[in-house]
Amino acid sequence: MGQTKLINDTLYSNGDSVVVTATRSERKLSNITVPVSIINAKTITQNGSLRLTDLLKEQTGLTLTSGFGAGVQLQGLNPDYTIILINGEPLVGRTAGVLDLNRIALGNINKIEIVKGPSSSLYGSEAMAGVINIITDASTTIPFNASLRYGTYNTADASINNSLASKKYFYQGFYNYYTTDGYSIRPNSNNRVTTPISRFTTSQQFKYHLSSITHLVFTTRFTDENIKSDIAVSNGGVTIYSKGNEHNTDINLAGTLNHRFSNSLKTSFRSYLTNYISTQDLLTLSGAPYNDLLNHLFKRIENQTDWTLSKTLSGIFGAGVVWEGVKSSRYDSDKLRKNNTIQYGFTQWEWTPIKKFILIGGVRFDQNAQYASAWSPKLSMLYKLNQQHKLKLSIGNGFKAPDFRQLYLDFTNAAAGNYSVFGSAEAQKVIGQLNILGQIGTLYSNYYLLKSLQPESSTGIHLSWDWEPNQKTFISVQAFRNDIKNLIQVEQVGTYVNGAQIFSYLNIGRAYTQGVELETKYQLNHKWSWSGGYQFIVTGDKDQIAQIKAGRVYTRDASGISSRLTMSDYVGLPNISKHKAQFKLNYVTTNGFFANLRLVYRSRWAVNNTNGNEVYDSGDSFASGYVSVHSSFGKEYTNGLSIQVGCDNMTNHVDAVNLANLPGRTAFFSIKYQLINKKNKS
Amino acid sequence: MKKTLTQFAIVFSFAIGLFSCTKSTTSSITPMASVTTTYKDLMADTVLGIDPKTSMPYSAGKYTYYSIENNTIVPKTDSATNKWDLAFMSTTILTNGGSSGGALGGAFIYTGLFDDLKTIAPDSVFKTDKAPVYAITTGSGKGWYTYDGMNNLITPIAGRVLVIRTATGKYAKLEILSYYKGGITLSPSATDADKLTKQRYYTFRFTFQPNGTKIF
Repeated sequence: MGQTKLINDTLYSNGDSVVVTATRSERKLSNITVPVSIINAKTITQNGSLRLTDLLKEQTGLTLTSGFGAGVQLQGLNPDYTIILINGEPLVGRTAGVLDLNRIALGNINKIEIVKGPSSSLYGSEAMAGVINIITDASTTIPFNASLRYGTYNTADASINNSLASKKYFYQGFYNYYTTDGYSIRPNSNNRVTTPISRFTTSQQFKYHLSSITHLVFTTRFTDENIKSDIAVSNGGVTIYSKGNEHNTDINLAGTLNHRFSNSLKTSFRSYLTNYISTQDLLTLSGAPYNDLLNHLFKRIENQTDWTLSKTLSGIFGAGVVWEGVKSSRYDSDKLRKNNTIQYGFTQWEWTPIKKFILIGGVRFDQNAQYASAWSPKLSMLYKLNQQHKLKLSIGNGFKAPDFRQLYLDFTNAAAGNYSVFGSAEAQKVIGQLNILGQIGTLYSNYYLLKSLQPESSTGIHLSWDWEPNQKTFISVQAFRNDIKNLIQVEQVGTYVNGAQIFSYLNIGRAYTQGVELETKYQLNHKWSWSGGYQFIVTGDKDQIAQIKAGRVYTRDASGISSRLTMSDYVGLPNISKHKAQFKLNYVTTNGFFANLRLVYRSRWAVNNTNGNEVYDSGDSFASGYVSVHSSFGKEYTNGLSIQVGCDNMTNHVDAVNLANLPGRTAFFSIKYQLINKKNKS
Repeated sequence: MKKTLTQFAIVFSFAIGLFSCTKSTTSSITPMASVTTTYKDLMADTVLGIDPKTSMPYSAGKYTYYSIENNTIVPKTDSATNKWDLAFMSTTILTNGGSSGGALGGAFIYTGLFDDLKTIAPDSVFKTDKAPVYAITTGSGKGWYTYDGMNNLITPIAGRVLVIRTATGKYAKLEILSYYKGGITLSPSATDADKLTKQRYYTFRFTFQPNGTKIF
């Protein structure tokens, strides 16, 4: 393909790169049948990204959310529905469904694969909107590198990577320390993002080749996070300030044995343990302590066997068991761990009858003691019309299991009216006991519907057309639709004698998201290139739509007078921007200089239901749309040294209320040294 | 007898309607006229300050008594009479009957549009106050308002009409337009001070039928 080959981040065009997430086995990108994006190490470095959040916010169709840490919204679905993997193993420790992506340092990342839609259903629960798999670097080309970075708000980051390799052994270690003073874009507020944070992350990888056909891999990862909390909780117009520390620890241990029986048969045994422990020790100004604990333990063993029957047919089989448990001060006792065991099995078959056509079918079954079991089938295909055109279609079912909070929460808010929320698994028992004690006033009819929750499930369809008119141009158009049912929502199920509300969780919601995406990439010459992306998305709550169409939903105008809501005023789900776009301009020279300019646009999104009809419509309050501009440039010297300067959010766009995770303009300077091992290339 | 009267009234007003269509110079007086009036900024136990000890807001804790019939505030000294129809204290609204007063007052909440409510359906059931449960249900999402705890805002629910039986047994329909001073809608980002001091000011519109019928 010559020098002008598109090698930057991308999406589809570099057909030779290998993707593992899409099919749970190594496949060339050009043979992948489902929508997948790859962000490679070069992009991470050149953008100057430190945390996973920095990177994901510049991807087409992905939106970062704030509140309980930074999560990612994919295809219009909340962070709860995207599974985050490191080398194929899931991260745990979500608060209100959100896994804080700031936890993930990018220093030793080889690439990030993003699979969109439920075609990723072989990953089980949470992989309903998609899968983000972070693949760490395991190459031996760079035995040592170190980097230092300093920027606005005293944000400093130091990383060291080292590796050692022999014929039998391979070792890699990564150490990262990150600290920031935080920032305050809201003068009188003490929002979580403004707090000073220090984080230490280390990961180790150890490979041992028992023989040419058998090898062992051990990986560990450890993150320790200290946050100085200075929280303001507002209730009934009264703000209670509290100060203290939040401490989060995340431990991941994985061991894998890979064995190749023959060229057509290989198997891998994987074992994994992860534990996320979060504690908050706060003191309110009046001296009352506030403590919160979350301890999530996840253990898994899994076997996957890959079998190539013939040139046209290959399959994988897998099965595993998960032991999962959570302790939380928001359950009935923080001493007692709530446990669940999940057994699952999956298989997937890939059929290539002719070179131009690939068909993949798969199914996964998950079964457990706490909630109903789930089947997740998927079917996807790729048709290569010719060198230039490719068509892909995928259909799949994904699900999200009820989480521990939805099953076991036992929380009474003493600060705000003594309302209670009980997880569905224990609600009837707990409320029944309260009833015997004469504390229950009324029970609503839906109280009697409380039973074991169904997993939330989604059926997704994704169609894409890739076009490479020449080696310099790449265009991809995609359309998707997700239909979601059994959404778990909080509903009032009764009242106490004193009138305080009692809530629990029920499977009631139905929703959809659909949209189109456009991705383009163009290499002007070997110095200049650009890429751009656009997403248009429409979402809706199906039950609300039925109500609106029946004329049973009302809205209020500026003077407070009610009228019937029409569909043209219906906005859909909150926190979703209809239009999103990104553009990136790249410049590189042969002597190692690089520069880029990145623009990210997001149109307005509904944030609050202000006109009191429980439906998001044009009369509600919106966060205004914005463009953020980022740039960085630097130089890589041949002796392994590189320097970089960057500026994020150059136009200084801030929105203290709705974009707490976007600081104003920030700048950084970084220096990096790489020892390049010339004789050992792998 | 009553039914025939009602039918007559409907036919009559229909005829008037037809008549006024054909001849635009006809005077606008109709025999069954009930006017819609807006009352602005009825103070319902407004916040006086914040108690430094408990850091909770405090107020006088007193109801404001109001007569729909006369569209005026009624002094508290008349609280035992049938001179008032509604009494307001923060989000609670009393009717003059049951546990709240000795008159004929009662109410129910109608879901729909104010203008669409032309006749109170004959099978409608008026509730009376039985403290702590009131004819006009209290609590977020249960009566006339929702409370957004995150932003500390009270918002009237769209499409809710309070159908009132007055102290003297006549009927009125009432729509609450705002809970904030000046009839405004406070934005979630308004200051805490504004949220505290501007709340508990009712602006509402109502139609009172003086002739005792259930037709507006």
